[in-house]
Amino acid sequence: MPVRHGQSSFRDRTDEFFSIVETLRRSIAPAANNVPYGGGGGRSDGGRREDPRSAAIVQSEFKRRAANIGLAIHQTSQKLSKLAKLAKRTSVFDDPTQEIQELTVVIKQEISALNTALLDLQAVRNSQNNEGNISRDTTTHSATVVDDLKNRLMDTTKEFKDVLTMRTENMKIHENRRQLFSSNASKESTNPFVRQRPLASKPAPSQAAPLPWANGASSSSSSQLVSRKHGESESAPLLQQSQQQQQQQQQMVPLQDTYMQSRAEALHNVESTIHELSNIFTQLATMVSQQGEIAIRIDQNMEDTLANVEGAQSQLARYLNSISSNRWLMIKIFFVLIAFLMVFLFFVA
Amino acid sequence: MKITALLVLKCAPETSDPVILANASDVSHFGYFQRSSVKEFVVFVGRTVASRTPPSQRQSVQHEEYKVHAYNRNGLCAVGFMDDHYPVRSAFSLLNQVLDEYQKSFGETWRSAKEDSSQPWPYLAEALTKFQDPAEADKLLKIQRELDETKIILHKTIDSVLARGEKLDSLVEKSSDLSMASQMFYKQAKKTNSCCTIL
Repeated sequence: MPVRHGQSSFRDRTDEFFSIVETLRRSIAPAANNVPYGGGGGRSDGGRREDPRSAAIVQSEFKRRAANIGLAIHQTSQKLSKLAKLAKRTSVFDDPTQEIQELTVVIKQEISALNTALLDLQAVRNSQNNEGNISRDTTTHSATVVDDLKNRLMDTTKEFKDVLTMRTENMKIHENRRQLFSSNASKESTNPFVRQRPLASKPAPSQAAPLPWANGASSSSSSQLVSRKHGESESAPLLQQSQQQQQQQQQMVPLQDTYMQSRAEALHNVESTIHELSNIFTQLATMVSQQGEIAIRIDQNMEDTLANVEGAQSQLARYLNSISSNRWLMIKIFFVLIAFLMVFLFFVA
Repeated sequence: MKITALLVLKCAPETSDPVILANASDVSHFGYFQRSSVKEFVVFVGRTVASRTPPSQRQSVQHEEYKVHAYNRNGLCAVGFMDDHYPVRSAFSLLNQVLDEYQKSFGETWRSAKEDSSQPWPYLAEALTKFQDPAEADKLLKIQRELDETKIILHKTIDSVLARGEKLDSLVEKSSDLSMASQMFYKQAKKTNSCCTIL
């Protein structure tokens, strides 16, 4: 049975085949020929029964290695998906940096190990080919297997790279956010505060850092005043003040941002609206030009109709003339007939 | 969307209470007896907020159902009492305008003011009425609004153009039918004419 060459639908079957490999390995341990081939032959649908029965130990060695590499690639991709999930999930607070780092290192090691293993596999295959006495199918099969493994490894490496880039982007975003909330990490408390009373002050761009701290103190005391008006509990004014101070400083920057950002956002909105308007205008122009063409066609149709009707009218007029003129002809024919009759009558009578 | 009051104060740096330089308030929607108390409340809250606003900073404080926006610029502070619906950006641009106008008309004389001036400043009063509509204060808002209206009009235009297209299509069909019919008519007439003579 000829070996089918590499198709991308393999990927879906891999897990099944690997589970089969495991079960086969456990159950049919002595039949070393079958099992490695079953593992290696998991790459293709056909050709499970043929050569390995007669193949040398080298053949099964190849199959075993291929199976191992496939398994390792699968495991690496699993770890990679875990890493991707972790990287996506990272919030500002409980950043599992440690785990991510460890996972990254592990995956990198595995990938490099897989690379070397794949190179070894290729070397083994070449040595097999050189020994001769191997069927053509086996060589093509082994070539297919190696190619498939290489492709898989390449995909895994690409995914790894993507995950790393995503991770760095997330880190950058977190850094920005952290800078925004300059002083410290009491971030949960800002939200309820923002909801109730958006208190903030905005340092002018020319003035530098020392101002926010001083402003924080004054605005926090103002907030305290306002909060007293609201009749909030004054149980721990000092604690409250320090909390509010922190919150003030954290909100100053976001609200300053908010003002500027809202202006920037409004500008963006205006710009996008103008773009949409231009789109609408071009569409309108297109439609009108198309309809203009239609109008020209209508015009032509009407002209044709006019010409036809005029022609028909002339025909009918001629017809009318001919009909009316026929009578003249008939009169003349009658006269001739009568003349003939007269002559005939003369002859007879 | 309502402005209740506009104030211009001079904020001495945290030593004393700010000095009111101009005041305009619209208390018409309060009952007659509440008006004076509302005015005083406005004055008091304005002074407090202005004293707490550090120089060259903007601040928005929520007080009961009003938002008080304050903008302190080099010791000259503008405070506005708006309700919650008034967009914050427009509020601050309005305060900007007020400050610019004040500086233009009064120059630097306000720096020497020591006590509340009670002369009404007409610009402030008319600004209060004019800027009840936030679009007036904020050009961006006005532009956005006009653009949206234009977009609506354009949508209607496109709809009518589409209807026009449909009518034109039906016209094309009818005119082509007409030309076919006239052609048949012509052929028929020619046939009856050209053929053999009829008795």
